[in-house]
Amino acid sequence: MAQSGPSHALKTSLPETYAAVNAQQPPPSYKYPTQEEQDKYLEGRPGATQQHLEVALEHAQQIQTQKDAEDVILNRILELLELPSSPTADPAAPSQEDTIKFKYALAPFRPSDYDNLILERNFEDSCGYTLCPRKYRKQDRGPGGGFQFKYGPKGSGPGGRGRSVDIVSEDRVEKWCSDACAERALWIRVQLSEKPVWERRAGDTRGTAILLLEEARAKRLKAPAPTSSVSSVVDDLQSMGLGNRDRSRELAMERGDTSTIRPDGRVNVNIRENQRSSHQVPGAPQMRPEDANGGTIEGYVPREQQRVDQDGDIDLLDQI
Amino acid sequence: MDGDSAHSMEAEREMTRLWRTFRTVYELLADRGYEVSDNELVLPLEDFRAKYADPLGYPDRTKMKIQARPTETMKLKYTALPSKANPNPQPDCGTIYVDFCPDSSGVGTKQVRAFNHLVDENNFHTGIFITQTPISPSAVRLLSGVPGRICEHFQEQDLLVNITRHELVPKHVLLSPEEKAKLLERYRLKESQLPRIQVSDPVARYLGLRRGQVVKIIRKSETAGRYASYRWVI
Repeated sequence: MAQSGPSHALKTSLPETYAAVNAQQPPPSYKYPTQEEQDKYLEGRPGATQQHLEVALEHAQQIQTQKDAEDVILNRILELLELPSSPTADPAAPSQEDTIKFKYALAPFRPSDYDNLILERNFEDSCGYTLCPRKYRKQDRGPGGGFQFKYGPKGSGPGGRGRSVDIVSEDRVEKWCSDACAERALWIRVQLSEKPVWERRAGDTRGTAILLLEEARAKRLKAPAPTSSVSSVVDDLQSMGLGNRDRSRELAMERGDTSTIRPDGRVNVNIRENQRSSHQVPGAPQMRPEDANGGTIEGYVPREQQRVDQDGDIDLLDQI
Repeated sequence: MDGDSAHSMEAEREMTRLWRTFRTVYELLADRGYEVSDNELVLPLEDFRAKYADPLGYPDRTKMKIQARPTETMKLKYTALPSKANPNPQPDCGTIYVDFCPDSSGVGTKQVRAFNHLVDENNFHTGIFITQTPISPSAVRLLSGVPGRICEHFQEQDLLVNITRHELVPKHVLLSPEEKAKLLERYRLKESQLPRIQVSDPVARYLGLRRGQVVKIIRKSETAGRYASYRWVI
């Protein structure tokens, strides 16, 4: 079923050209067999039906999609190794072009793929943050190395006095050129979606709307102070048009909540009121003599109400 | 003076370790069925040192490149049975190339890309890439993604001893397509009814087994003398 890839037309000894040729080739994608081929396959197999074949093809297609997606991610990692495009780029203010390229390439990534990218970048001696052109910190490890102390800013210790001390493994610190870059890179990482790209659905914005740390900070400063007066909330709710029937149908359509069988939603909702058996209006409760002292609470009589007789016996009359 | 002798000790140690790996590679090639001469199989440490040491006494990995061609018996084993669509099948094996990566750490896509390129350019059928440290996950994927070629990866320490020579490891023999067909006929089996072995199994990796092949495993048995079982590679 799987086709072998096209043979390389161009053979060259230049690694760059070779890589470029390889990159241009689209990944060997899945070709759905024609009806003829399917019939031919089924002929020799008396036990198999068209349905069996379709299920098998469906699964094969899913696996192929996964493989293609993994190839795309690998190619993207290789592309991102080349960034930033200029050796003097500033990670705090990256060029527009690089930023767009970076964000575009990150779309299918999972956090684990991003970790691979960081590892790959470190292997090439560059900082783990993709938009940073500097080298990563590399310290000579002593014989007992592997960990180091990391001091926080002044006043960050327990009770607001002294400095906080963290013991962190060195490879966690060494991935980046500076703490600022570490923050930037990890900020990107938390925005990535854990879901593999072949399982994501249309409209899943997580993983596609990625902001750099600088952009996110600028946005937060610009954002207006939240207004929470009642009138504004009411206005917002009204502008959503929840009561509007046409609008709610539209929304249901967007959610994929409608089908031809049940035009109103996934389940049919029929509201049926309870029939009242009698039309008597219940009267207000009336005062009875035993209610004078409040009576018992599930058999218990509050202490103030327990009247003690002259001979010291508790009068049980009221309690029964 | 003290530092000097420590240096040469270190070099000596690395030399010996690499010599063991080197010998295992030749044994591996011979076990897979490639043409390997007898004196290559029993290369003494002195000869290895004379051939591959750099002026400081450390091994020079860039010199250690091995090529081998398959023997006729191996070609036979890798030739599919003739069918209607393909009445004259060609053996699916060819020259193998073994490369030792000189980088002592951080082997990633860069080195693997260069290796892939080398294998592709020289038209080797199979390539074995041997590194000192583990390679990155993307590099593994890149290595297995060469269309039409087979690239494998081993770490030097994996080949320090030959695992198939251990007394607890039974003998694994690859069956040719013809033998496989006979086996299935004899026992009236479909291949999916055989017990299985993974491609990532250490012995399967050592023998370079491919998906769909059948391997015969011959164990010693206290009651029967020899006991053969068959496994389908998945």
